[in-house]
Amino acid sequence: MGRAAMADDGKRVGGVLARLKAAKKRYGDTTALDGLDLEVRQGELLAVLGPNGAGKTTAIALLLGLQRPDAGEALLFDRSPHDLAARRGVGVMMQEVSLPDALRVRELIAMTQAYYPDPLALAEAIALAGVEKIAERPYVKLSGGQKRQAQFALAICGRPRLLFLDEPTTGLDLTSRETMWATLRGLVSRGISIVLTTHYIEEAEALADRVVVMAKGRAIANGTVAEMRALVVRKRVDCVTDLDLAAIAAWPDVTTAHRDGGQVSITTPDAEAVVRRLLAADAGLADLEVRRAGLSEAFAELTQEPAQ
Amino acid sequence: MTASAPVTVAPMSPGRLIGAYLSDAKWESLRLLRTPAFSIPILAMPILFYLFFGVLLAGGRAHGPAANWMFVGWTVYAVMGPGLFGFGILVAVERNMGLLTFKRALPMPTGSYLTSKLLMALLFAIVVMAMLVATALTVGHVTLSSGQVATVAAVMSLGVIPACAIGLFIGAFAPASSAAAFANIVYLSMAFLSGLFFPLPMALQPFKAIWPTYHLKELALASASLPSEGSVGGHVAVLAGLTVVLTTLAARKLARLG
Repeated sequence: MGRAAMADDGKRVGGVLARLKAAKKRYGDTTALDGLDLEVRQGELLAVLGPNGAGKTTAIALLLGLQRPDAGEALLFDRSPHDLAARRGVGVMMQEVSLPDALRVRELIAMTQAYYPDPLALAEAIALAGVEKIAERPYVKLSGGQKRQAQFALAICGRPRLLFLDEPTTGLDLTSRETMWATLRGLVSRGISIVLTTHYIEEAEALADRVVVMAKGRAIANGTVAEMRALVVRKRVDCVTDLDLAAIAAWPDVTTAHRDGGQVSITTPDAEAVVRRLLAADAGLADLEVRRAGLSEAFAELTQEPAQ
Repeated sequence: MTASAPVTVAPMSPGRLIGAYLSDAKWESLRLLRTPAFSIPILAMPILFYLFFGVLLAGGRAHGPAANWMFVGWTVYAVMGPGLFGFGILVAVERNMGLLTFKRALPMPTGSYLTSKLLMALLFAIVVMAMLVATALTVGHVTLSSGQVATVAAVMSLGVIPACAIGLFIGAFAPASSAAAFANIVYLSMAFLSGLFFPLPMALQPFKAIWPTYHLKELALASASLPSEGSVGGHVAVLAGLTVVLTTLAARKLARLG
């Protein structure tokens, strides 16, 4: 909570805009949130990662006042999220929503802007979201990806301080995704905070100042992308060798070893020791490669072993 | 910089707040005007029915008092439609498709969701009524003064409110897939079983007072100094009571929705 006002990359971040304190939420027999603590700081892009059913969407629903926590607390701009004044600082892109079919994208933006005290100019919102080409089209005539773009325009049109984006790039083609990423970076550089849930690991790696990994309704890890990677210290060693796989697997620092044809892949917390021993044991060893585990591997490992 | 530096959000000026309500009403009306499945039955059917049943089929018999009575009956039919279908179908569908949830996540002013639909229903009702009045005065053989026509129109504008309450009730409880059917059943039952267009058979007479359309029609007749049944206070009490009860039940149901 009182942790550094400086993010690890040196960017200045300020107060807490939104916060869940020990939030619990059950739906019947299912525990969606099990005492989740979460805070969103000013000026950061927070990526919330987790498998389906981890509680990401429920966490956002509590912060938007769409649901009330069974226990614990949800705060938005130090107020209840049910307070209209708090939600005036927020823009939203939800996962499942259908908008009025008969209205054009430009009209939907105008409709949404009317709810905010100091929205962007209509043309500015259209340009910022990159929806110039579809602005005059009725919503019903848009493709799935174009609908996501239109929803993104609605999220940013009110000049929000804080954006909640629930899987914003799902269904987008590569170009549109790149465009949205660029827009998000631009918004963060203007001091806007963003909470983004995603199942694209590369999206978190490309954008996030901070990552929260959720599993079973709790945050199991929280830190910068680099810290997430460091949490899982294993590295991956690939090479082509004739050495016996079972023998390699029995070495002290080897966590796992697999063979695919001539190619052997080893994961280990101590790559240097393993490489030294490999080179000593096999003079004919070729194609040696050592890599740090990606966030994807770190993430898979974290969600498989929430007890850690 | 402390970790708890307050982050303020600009307050909403009263002008912008009123603007938000009006904007919602505008877009709500426009989207329905562009939806033929809604706008054609609501706008065209009452006029066509009135012309066919009230003017052509009635032939020479519907003159003077009978024509006036018939005209008031069809205005009741006309003003019930927008509220009943606008709320009944839209609330059910929007509940289902997540639009209601999205709008609740946005800083939409409290009450604007329902107010915008009420204003939309009122706008549509006024348009239908204007067309009915024009038809009645040109080919309908009515013998009403302009004051009486204005009184009927005013009462009918208020009649939009109980119509919306009934629609809201249907929209809050009916599944999206069958809300239109429920709204139609209620609409036609109210129209025919309350004796809007022709005197009811004796067997049905005692039950006509259970329909809000009966009270609305008698209220309009009484207000325009035309022959009517019951008391003005009684009709107003029934319509107001129905509105409060249905709105309260519907609001509770909608508030429970995640």
